[in-house]
Amino acid sequence: MIRTSAITKIVNTTEGELQILQPISFDVNSGESVAIVGASGSGKSTLLGLLAGLDQVTEGEIYLDEEPLHQMDEEARARMRGEKVGFIFQSFMLVQSLTALENVMLPAEISGHPKPRQAALEALQQVGLEHRAHHYPNQLSGGEQQRVAIARAFITRPKILFADEPTGNLDAANGDKIEKLLFELNHQSGTTLVLVTHDTELASRCDRQLHMYAGTLTEDDSVQLNAEQRHVS
Amino acid sequence: MSASPNNAAWTLSWRLFRHEARRGELTVILLAIVLSVAAVLSLSLFSERLQSALTDRTAEFLAADRLLGSDKPVPDEWLDKAREQGLNLAQRVQMRSMVFANDELMLADVRAVDNAYPLKGTIKLADEPFGLGKPVNGLPGAGEVWLDSRLFQVLGIEKGDKVEIGEREFLVSAVISELPDGGFNVFGGDPLVLMPLKDLAATGISGPGSRTDYDYMFSGEDAALDAYYEWLEPKLDRELHYWRSVKDDDSPLGRSVRRAEQYFLLASLLAIVLASVSIAVAAQRYSHRHYDPVAIMKTLGASGAMVRKIYLLQVIFIATLGIVIGSLLGFSAQYVVAELIAEKVPVALDNWHWRPFFIAIFTGVVCAMLFSLYPLMKLFSVPPLRVLRRDLGANVGSRIIQFIAAGSAIFVLMWAYSGDLKISLILLVTGLVLAMALMAVTMGLIWLGRKLGQGRMGAWQLAWARIQRRAMDNSVQLISFAITIMLLLVVLVMRNDMVRQWQEQLPKGTPNYFMINITDQQRPVVESHFSERGLEMDKFYPVVRGRFVAINEETIRTDVTKEDDDSGRRGLGREANLTWSSTLQQENRVVAGNWHGDTQSSDKPYQVSVESKVAERLEIKLGDVLRFNIGSEVVEAEVGSLREVNWQTMQPNFFFVLEPAAMQAFSPTYITSFHLPTEQKAQLGELMSPFSTVTLFDVDARINQLRSIVSQVSLAVEFILVLVLCAGALVLVAQVQSSMDERQQELAILRTLGAKGMMIRMSVIAEFVIIGIVAGGMAAMANELALYLLQSQVFNMQTTVHWQYWLLAPITGALVVGVLGAISCWRLLSLNTSQLLRRMV
Repeated sequence: MIRTSAITKIVNTTEGELQILQPISFDVNSGESVAIVGASGSGKSTLLGLLAGLDQVTEGEIYLDEEPLHQMDEEARARMRGEKVGFIFQSFMLVQSLTALENVMLPAEISGHPKPRQAALEALQQVGLEHRAHHYPNQLSGGEQQRVAIARAFITRPKILFADEPTGNLDAANGDKIEKLLFELNHQSGTTLVLVTHDTELASRCDRQLHMYAGTLTEDDSVQLNAEQRHVS
Repeated sequence: MSASPNNAAWTLSWRLFRHEARRGELTVILLAIVLSVAAVLSLSLFSERLQSALTDRTAEFLAADRLLGSDKPVPDEWLDKAREQGLNLAQRVQMRSMVFANDELMLADVRAVDNAYPLKGTIKLADEPFGLGKPVNGLPGAGEVWLDSRLFQVLGIEKGDKVEIGEREFLVSAVISELPDGGFNVFGGDPLVLMPLKDLAATGISGPGSRTDYDYMFSGEDAALDAYYEWLEPKLDRELHYWRSVKDDDSPLGRSVRRAEQYFLLASLLAIVLASVSIAVAAQRYSHRHYDPVAIMKTLGASGAMVRKIYLLQVIFIATLGIVIGSLLGFSAQYVVAELIAEKVPVALDNWHWRPFFIAIFTGVVCAMLFSLYPLMKLFSVPPLRVLRRDLGANVGSRIIQFIAAGSAIFVLMWAYSGDLKISLILLVTGLVLAMALMAVTMGLIWLGRKLGQGRMGAWQLAWARIQRRAMDNSVQLISFAITIMLLLVVLVMRNDMVRQWQEQLPKGTPNYFMINITDQQRPVVESHFSERGLEMDKFYPVVRGRFVAINEETIRTDVTKEDDDSGRRGLGREANLTWSSTLQQENRVVAGNWHGDTQSSDKPYQVSVESKVAERLEIKLGDVLRFNIGSEVVEAEVGSLREVNWQTMQPNFFFVLEPAAMQAFSPTYITSFHLPTEQKAQLGELMSPFSTVTLFDVDARINQLRSIVSQVSLAVEFILVLVLCAGALVLVAQVQSSMDERQQELAILRTLGAKGMMIRMSVIAEFVIIGIVAGGMAAMANELALYLLQSQVFNMQTTVHWQYWLLAPITGALVVGVLGAISCWRLLSLNTSQLLRRMV
């Protein structure tokens, strides 16, 4: 689903060029769930931005569902995101002036879905928030806002879902609920999941963990093994 | 629901617009557009109506909209053309001639008019000489004349008597109290005679050798009048013809109206600038608040085109709504105002045009588009990556470009609207100077803030620290505050200066009656007679009638009726009133030479002071020796000084003022003036009855006319001032609200960190107070510059420094901005911390 080859990211700062990502290569298979873990500032969010086509690599190649992201301009990447990618963010990123329902409808409308309202109502139902459809984000709790964001992420049935610290702004109880919901929906729809987190508990639920450290990536096989064992059991 | 992305953009745009409007997020920007449109519409609608009312009113003084004067009758073709163009036409033939009755004679200003006269204004007749005038329709019938009160007095006649003019006898059928085109000249004018044009030929007075003016008066639509003049102009001979409109009128009235018109224009221009500033502020806020939604939409796959469409459509929605509400509001406001003042200024409410609507809508559209363009461009450039990195903002050009774009947009708007490059440039230049000065001040504040912001964190330190940190970022805000205050000051001070100068022209108690021919013996009797009745007399000016006959031994022409003959040097054309005085009269200013005073040395010739315009016309220079024939005596005097005389004052003024010693041998008559309230006019007959030989000039009606117009214009200016002040105050509110928004996040953090509400409040108030003081102070300085340029270059007024505003502006700025800041702050702090934090997201 995702193929990367020697991708790097260099940014210009007032103190000269800064290499945030060292050359990184890895693949993510279709239907797989991958956690990118690492300390703050290790470059995991930057990597997520590149994989999701929100940002452009300095060097290297990224193929998303066989399409060469690294060769696309912003317009092409936007189209690609609309068609194949879903997002969940730490700060929920709901449009404050739209209701829960309208927030969920947003990607469907942008991509020209024939029945965005109906699809959005169904998606809200799936996350158990149909009764809050007409509330604005600031009338919802953090957990509820993230459930709206999840509904929004799944409405277009994306092939791949990117989640950036999805439970980072939530308390333990709400975090657990969200985690559960995320993985449930992911399994149901067979979506590929790439998530960035500090949370080892959350990371451990993924098929595979990639560790970021100072812009470099290492793969933790033991975690992968644990996951496989859990699947077996 | 929609399937195509095009429809999606519409749907999304409309949805965002609806929600934002419902949540009150659009209030500020909508209010800004509503205000701008309402202000521009009401101002231009109102001033257009007012102008046409005032122009109509002043046209009455010309008795027409335009006048073509000629020394000879003009070709019929010219008049036919005017009729063809749909213009109304009246003819007046004017000459000076003697009027005889009872063996008495008097030189009069004879006006023969056709049936269409007057095209504007009304004739007023009195029942008896010097009686109260009543408006009438109609003109003297064939064989009849209407005469000025003075003729009745001098010729000793009554209504129904006969007078001779030239070779024809006329029946005197009415007393003229006022002709619309009677003119303001109190002393130069001869008494008026009005007669039918058809009877003129029979008198023989307009024959060859007489000096006759042929005046053709026109009225009609401005466009038709202009078109006619365009056709006529190439045919005119400047030596023979002249074209006049009310606007060429250099009377105090003409000038008042011109100034008022310029003031309306200025006020409307300022309203446009205010509107633009508020829209720029509001648009910036709007754009900033939508960085996240744009990043989210882009992340979710919206193309650049779709985002642009969504937001441009929103601007169109907002602009449309703003324009509609603003138009309704503006129209109602000016309607109400016009209704309220209808009694004092007859503004015709049914007489309105589409032009102000077009201007208002054009202004709304241009302002909404041009001033939201840059913030929108910033908004469009927000990268989708902002969803992950919140610090990423817009990335478009520098603020300098924004300033240049906004400045030129304002300038183009002003220029296009006013068509007056000078006013537009003056406002632009002072605006620029102000902006640059403010930039320098903000730099200074950064430095000062660094010094003062050190030490323990109290409210003041917090305020200074915030100003320092925001100084560069929010210099726009400071500049917009200062510009708003400056524009309000300009409108206010301009109005004060203008109204004051108008009122000074005609102070209360201005003499409205003049008496001449008071003999030496009569003088004390007159004085005691008047003082017994509680009436104060003005100074008595001695007058001797003399004929000005030679300059430096060179004889000049003295013939009354043939002064345009080519032979000989030009003379006055009539007898002059000679007076003498050792003190210079009020409102007289020596422009060359020295005032003769009362020091007389025997070896020097007598001195005379000559009015500078007459000196110029008759080519009299300092040191010339002038000869006057007074009866059988001859007086020679050397020109010792030239005087500039303010003819607008209602006091006797003289071309020639001699030193007293030169005139000792002559027994003079006196001129004096007094003020009699209009309502006491009935007393006039009784007052004057003991002095049948004294001639009375009644200028009461003229003064009242002038005063009523000046007060109407002042009133109109007052209303426009209030309108602009309201617009400006609301713009200030919008600015404070929008800048409060930016403080929200910081307040939330401070609150969360446990800062006391009082301290936060005090710091916010202190911040606004400091901004208000700085903005007010800078505004006062810029105001001075703008006023100096406007008054000297555009309004032709005396310029003064307005020190009081240097103190008043910072204090008012601090008060107004501080109070507005406090109100918005209170609103914000009434929310609890978690609400505040949530609003930050």
